Amino acid sequence: MGMFKTAEEFEKVIVGFFNLVADTPLIADKLLKSKMIIRFKYSDPDLIVVIDCSGDKAEVRPHDTDTKEIVEMTMSADIAHRFWFGMVNLTKALTRKEMVAKGPIPKVLKLLPAIKPSYAMYPQYLDANGFEQYNITKAYKPPTA
Amino acid sequence: MGGYAGQILYVNLSSGDIEKKTLDRDFARKHIGGLGFGTQIYLDLIKGNPVFDALSESNPFVLMTGPLTGMKMNGVARWTVCSKSPLTGFWGDSNVGGFFGAYLKFAGYDGIVITGKAKTPSYLFINDETVEIRSAEKYWGKDVYTVTDELKEDLKPESKKPGQVLTIGPAGEKLIKFASLINNKGHAAGRTGMGAVWGSKMLKAIYVSGTGKPEIAHPEKFDDLRKELKEVYEESIGIAAIHAAGTATHMDVGIISGDIPIKNWQMTDWDQIDDIGPTEIEEKIFAGHKTCYGCGVACKKNAQVKDGPFKMEKGPGPEYETIATFGTMCLNSSIESIAKANDICNRYGMDTITCGSTIAFAMECFENGLITEEDTDGLSLTWGNSEAIVKMVEKIAKQDGFGAILGQGSQKAAEHIGGNASDFLTTVKGLEAPMHDPRSAHGYGLAYAISPRGACHEASLTFEAEGGMIYIPEIPELSADLPEGSDERAQLNVVAQDYGMFFSNCAIFCNLGGMPLNATQALNMVNYVTGFEYTLNEVMEIGRRVWYLKRGMTNLFGARAEDDRLPKRLMTVMEDGPTEGSLPDMDKMLAEFYELRGFNADGIPTKNILENVGLPDLAELLNTA
Repeated sequence: MGMFKTAEEFEKVIVGFFNLVADTPLIADKLLKSKMIIRFKYSDPDLIVVIDCSGDKAEVRPHDTDTKEIVEMTMSADIAHRFWFGMVNLTKALTRKEMVAKGPIPKVLKLLPAIKPSYAMYPQYLDANGFEQYNITKAYKPPTA
Repeated sequence: MGGYAGQILYVNLSSGDIEKKTLDRDFARKHIGGLGFGTQIYLDLIKGNPVFDALSESNPFVLMTGPLTGMKMNGVARWTVCSKSPLTGFWGDSNVGGFFGAYLKFAGYDGIVITGKAKTPSYLFINDETVEIRSAEKYWGKDVYTVTDELKEDLKPESKKPGQVLTIGPAGEKLIKFASLINNKGHAAGRTGMGAVWGSKMLKAIYVSGTGKPEIAHPEKFDDLRKELKEVYEESIGIAAIHAAGTATHMDVGIISGDIPIKNWQMTDWDQIDDIGPTEIEEKIFAGHKTCYGCGVACKKNAQVKDGPFKMEKGPGPEYETIATFGTMCLNSSIESIAKANDICNRYGMDTITCGSTIAFAMECFENGLITEEDTDGLSLTWGNSEAIVKMVEKIAKQDGFGAILGQGSQKAAEHIGGNASDFLTTVKGLEAPMHDPRSAHGYGLAYAISPRGACHEASLTFEAEGGMIYIPEIPELSADLPEGSDERAQLNVVAQDYGMFFSNCAIFCNLGGMPLNATQALNMVNYVTGFEYTLNEVMEIGRRVWYLKRGMTNLFGARAEDDRLPKRLMTVMEDGPTEGSLPDMDKMLAEFYELRGFNADGIPTKNILENVGLPDLAELLNTA
């Protein structure tokens, strides 16, 4: 069992964060320039999310199995979660197939500088949206009555 | 004998004698090739008189290929050189790709041992069985690109097939301590100043042309392996990345973990880093792909700057280490100037890591008032001054004014400058650290500290293992999930040295082009080519012996425990960024490492351990030194 007990809970966390990223011009402008369409296939729990940067606005679409992706990234929900804290050694994760990427990989790697600011945003987003228990950068303290 | 050409050339430049010695099968099996051959031959040559200056005629120079060099396979074009380093005074070696090694084997030689010193500028001509020492008066003083083109053109009529040139530039002739050897204009044996060793011997170049081909012991098995590996390479993300963008791809990845040193190792993040990353490189200077012999990975990239102050013709472009030393280290966001600095280093024959790091060091001295424009011949060595950086590279190459000071490397320059200049050094054993920060991965810190040739990320496979580039499931330490911090790094280093000596020093796989290979695949390749049927245990033992031999040689040249330390700059805690608060626990790692390797308190392997690994001669030498 991973960190997220249900797909619904993971979806709330990750889709909410992707929407925040998509609404952050510092990052979104660079993503849109790439015209990239990425399908994330998560496991434990299972979830599919497409980020479509091919139009005028970055769109985040959970459960989208129809859109033809340019790159597909497959990983566990836990790896994805740790990645957004900047805690995953990307080289190692790809070498050991903890992350599997299909498609033009160099194009994905070029997005890394663009998404760098999001690592600092993720823990703040978790805290600000009632997901403190998933903020692994600090010891979680349950709210007192 | 599969994989080997079967002969080693011995060239005495003092006497002019040239001898071809048959490669002994038992010797080949015991040492595999590359630095396995090189270290043993070097030791045998110097053990009668191990005290000499690196730039004297007593310092031999050994160039060796491996059993795979010259095979049409990804990641096996490499070959090695070794000698005493003029930069550090300790053991020196370098590992290089390109075409020269393959062509040397086609000519019928597994390696070349050069001793003595020529009276006048000379080059070595090799055309199959014809081997001659010839006058290089015509080429002396000329740059690497010119000599490469002229020698190929001049010797074409005498060669059955087009040849390859390995040469020094003016930097080697002027004995610049970090002068390099360069094949095909861009494949450099860069580190530790092997070019100055050639310069001291008045050896300008080696030209080689050959018509033979080494045999493969089990060609059908080799072909099957090639087919198996095709899929492995197609699936490798790392290979796809370096094929597309070269090693510069690390600019995007390394910045996340704080691996890239910035402003002479004082920062781990910089808002202008994207200006010198792969995207900008592709848009501004990319001029096509390059490769080494027989390798489809093609991680090398050409560059061209069409106009402006850093205009340069199409030629080999800067790799990651070069982009970082002349870029992030100097807060220089002009990719064109980095390409130009690289071009100058290639033409004059200088190591870009030491050159760039030494300039970054000088910039910090300038910032702190230890040197002024009066010292630097009017150059304002302020951070990010791209024109000053390029001009200083030229001054170093020409040994002009302050360039002659920096041409000694940063450690010697710090002695000259005085004050607290040594606080800004990034050297271990006199060699400037490569562009990977041990504060982001503590095992690198130990790797730099105990590397026989000085701070080096390729002296073992620690960088590749801890950094995640390789995964070797057959070896627990090279496939473990390491805990955060400094725990288990000593054991990692030991195993990464043993396997690394086999993998990239003796069999001479490329650490980049060979990164998708597991141990079984690597071993099978060596076995199918040589027919030796090594086991993994056996090659680990050979690797261990070679590592102790290199370490012992550096001890023999004077290195002691106090030299196994990281400089203050690399041991300064970062107050923010990805490596905030992270420092390698060097005392703990060194103590564990010394225990595992059987070192005494002086940092010297005990007599017992050296005898156990099969080095009684070295044990005797160190015991009486």
